[in-house]
Amino acid sequence: MSTAIELIAVDKRFESGVTALKGLSTTIWPGQFVALLGPSGCGKSTVLRLIAGLEQPTSGEVRLNGVPASKRAAPMSYVFQEPTLMPWASVLDNVALPLRIAGSSRSAARAAALEALEDVGLAERASAYPAELSGGMKMRCSIARALISRPAVLLLDEPFAALDEMTRHRLNDELLAQWGARSPTAVFVTHSVYEAVYLSQRVLVLGERPGRMIADLPIALPAPRAASLRLEESFLEQCRRVSHALEGGIAAGVLA
Amino acid sequence: MTVARRASTWVPLAAGLGLLVTWEAVVRLRGIPPFILPAPSVVLKTLWDNLDSLFVSWLFTIKITFGALALALAGGVLLACAFALSRPLELALFPFAIALQVTPIVAIAPLILIYVDSTTASLLICAFIVAFFPILSNTLIGLRAADPNLQDLLTLYGATRWQRLRWLLVPSALPYLIAGLKISGGLALIGAVVAEFAAGAAGRETGLASRILEASFRTEIPKMYAALTLVVLTGVAIYLLTRVLSRALLGRWHPSEQG
Amino acid sequence: MAACSKRASLRALAHVALAALLVWPLLPAAEPAQLEHVVFATNWRAQAGHGGFYQALVDGTYARFGLDVTIVQGGPQVNNRPLLPAGRIDFLMTGNLLHSFDNLKNGVPTQVVAAIFQKDPQALIAHPGQGYERFERLKDAPVVLVAKDGQFTWWQWLKATQGFRDEQLRPYNFNLGPFLANPRAVQQGYSIAEPIYVRQQGGFEPVVHLLADHGFDTYSTLIEARTQMIGQRPDLVQRFVDASILGWYSYLYGDHRAADAMMLRENPEITVGEIDASVALMKRYGIVDSGEALRVGIGAMDPSRIRHFFESMVDAGLYRANEIDPEAVAAPQFVNKGVGLEVKRRLLGRP
Repeated sequence: MSTAIELIAVDKRFESGVTALKGLSTTIWPGQFVALLGPSGCGKSTVLRLIAGLEQPTSGEVRLNGVPASKRAAPMSYVFQEPTLMPWASVLDNVALPLRIAGSSRSAARAAALEALEDVGLAERASAYPAELSGGMKMRCSIARALISRPAVLLLDEPFAALDEMTRHRLNDELLAQWGARSPTAVFVTHSVYEAVYLSQRVLVLGERPGRMIADLPIALPAPRAASLRLEESFLEQCRRVSHALEGGIAAGVLA
Repeated sequence: MTVARRASTWVPLAAGLGLLVTWEAVVRLRGIPPFILPAPSVVLKTLWDNLDSLFVSWLFTIKITFGALALALAGGVLLACAFALSRPLELALFPFAIALQVTPIVAIAPLILIYVDSTTASLLICAFIVAFFPILSNTLIGLRAADPNLQDLLTLYGATRWQRLRWLLVPSALPYLIAGLKISGGLALIGAVVAEFAAGAAGRETGLASRILEASFRTEIPKMYAALTLVVLTGVAIYLLTRVLSRALLGRWHPSEQG
Repeated sequence: MAACSKRASLRALAHVALAALLVWPLLPAAEPAQLEHVVFATNWRAQAGHGGFYQALVDGTYARFGLDVTIVQGGPQVNNRPLLPAGRIDFLMTGNLLHSFDNLKNGVPTQVVAAIFQKDPQALIAHPGQGYERFERLKDAPVVLVAKDGQFTWWQWLKATQGFRDEQLRPYNFNLGPFLANPRAVQQGYSIAEPIYVRQQGGFEPVVHLLADHGFDTYSTLIEARTQMIGQRPDLVQRFVDASILGWYSYLYGDHRAADAMMLRENPEITVGEIDASVALMKRYGIVDSGEALRVGIGAMDPSRIRHFFESMVDAGLYRANEIDPEAVAAPQFVNKGVGLEVKRRLLGRP
């Protein structure tokens, strides 16, 4: 069910003349949780949109399980930096949306949505409207919606960047818990070294525009992650490693 | 009710009352004759004395106004959806919509009365022309104003065009539509009244505009004011109705109705 | 010798200048005395039926009577009526006595000071050969086009006494199109105007039924003034009425080309031919100079005729008996004095 993602020599040049990506190649294995790390404007979001099939590469290919991404053969979900909830619908109806589009009846979709909300601890707010929720709650809602359709690929574009640190840490753990239940292939874009290291099994480091892969670093840390890991030396060591790579310094760890 | 809510009811009422009292006082103290500026008491008495004939005309004007508004709503929304779904259609037809908007109704009302036999139909057409553009324009903007991220999400979930319209575009457009409706409500009334003035409609199928003209020709100035009062009341009622509608549809979630 | 004569001429110059300086204040003013400004509003765009007033303006009659008159046109979408009681205009042209009765009923303080038309030219016109040759058939017409002014006056009389119904009524926007296009249509017309236009635009001679011939015998083209002005400035009112009457005699019997030229400037939609034809009709139908006017001058008003007209309107149900005193609408002291009869005799070359 999980899907392998391949980027083969991908170039992306926009009509405005901006070259977002140049010669990007990598393979992400089914069920892997990969972080995409890089400075602003290096094309990380573009990679996500290429995988989602929302954009097409100027040259090169993007394939999911061998099928071009544009065909959208695999069920996918996307979590944006903004919660992107429909403000006119209740939390319950927001989470139910993917199922309704897929053809479920209202009652069936709502029942499933209620379960999903229970998983993220938002069941009592099911009839609330997004305007009544805090930022963290809205993001949990967004994640619940992303996972309800049982996606094969989960794409996340800096979803926690707008939240305060404590909420971010909490949601990191919650995301891992939710992801762990079904383990779709996950690509998580971030510009936070700590977050990349904490969440993923592998960090892909992109350089400045035009985006090029400058490091591919497996993260050897115990899974599932414990919150206390953040203060341990092994964690900080990995963070340093990734930081160096990010600064374009000595590439620590080789492209395997 | 909170203090703020109470204030929003009482302050306008008090202001209105104050205006009427001042008006009455000025007319009495300065002995202004009723054929120049009638006092509110005279206007009210005239309204009461002529209530039966004015009421019939009032109903007619209300009929035209709401009929035109309904047509404008249906036409404007349908056309906006069509334009949102088909760019070539929009490019082809939008210039006509603009032409309709800028053509002064005072000029074309007599023409329409020549081509269309029924006075009621002519007035409906005129009021519709005046009222329909804000709804079309606003709804179209609203349909286009959908959150692009939600658009992408629906693409990802494989939504069809109709699903997109139903789940995203129409709810996104609703606040804009309501804003357009607030404008068009008043315009439909103005269109109904102005069209009747310009067309010089006659006979049975006549509304408040004809009563105003008639009173003007007979120098029955208090009656003019009485008919105008009914027009104003209708306008206020329309405004309040759209307020209620807006609160019902948007109250829970749209910033325009919060706080 | 040269210097001597120069000094002499300079001295002469000084003498003349001194004399002029002393005499200057005693000389009569180079300009005439200030004219009084009055505004007269008509009830239509300039046409032959207003000719006498424009005549008095262009041939200096108003000026001779010390009046600087501005004539403000009416028109299809214009209603000048409320301007008179409001003081924005000084004199108002009215189409029939019903307006005056309404004013009295509503306490609007104005009165009629002259009746230029002894007959109301208001008529209903129809296509020939449609069976409308008899007036009684008109009430069966599917469409009767009447403008705003008439809708609230003589149309009410037609409904009450002649069997017309509101279902027939259509607004007449002074566009002959609907009438010309529909042979069964009937429309209002000024008997001295519309038939001429119909002949030109439609190419046929319409059937004309004068309302006056069927019981609507009001005076027309009345001059109204504020009661206050009548009381406080009767001299001003008299001067305006007299000058207007003289203007009418000159217009009808003298050379009216200058007045026509001014009307053409004010209303470019009419032509000289139409004006001439209209004047001929005015004379033929005796609109202005007939009946009492032949005896006591144009503008003549007979209060008993006003009372009689009011009573026929009461019979028609437009007013209640004793609702008003009809003779109170008129101030006849300004007419019936034979003003202008001398001018007419002179213009017509009679002794």
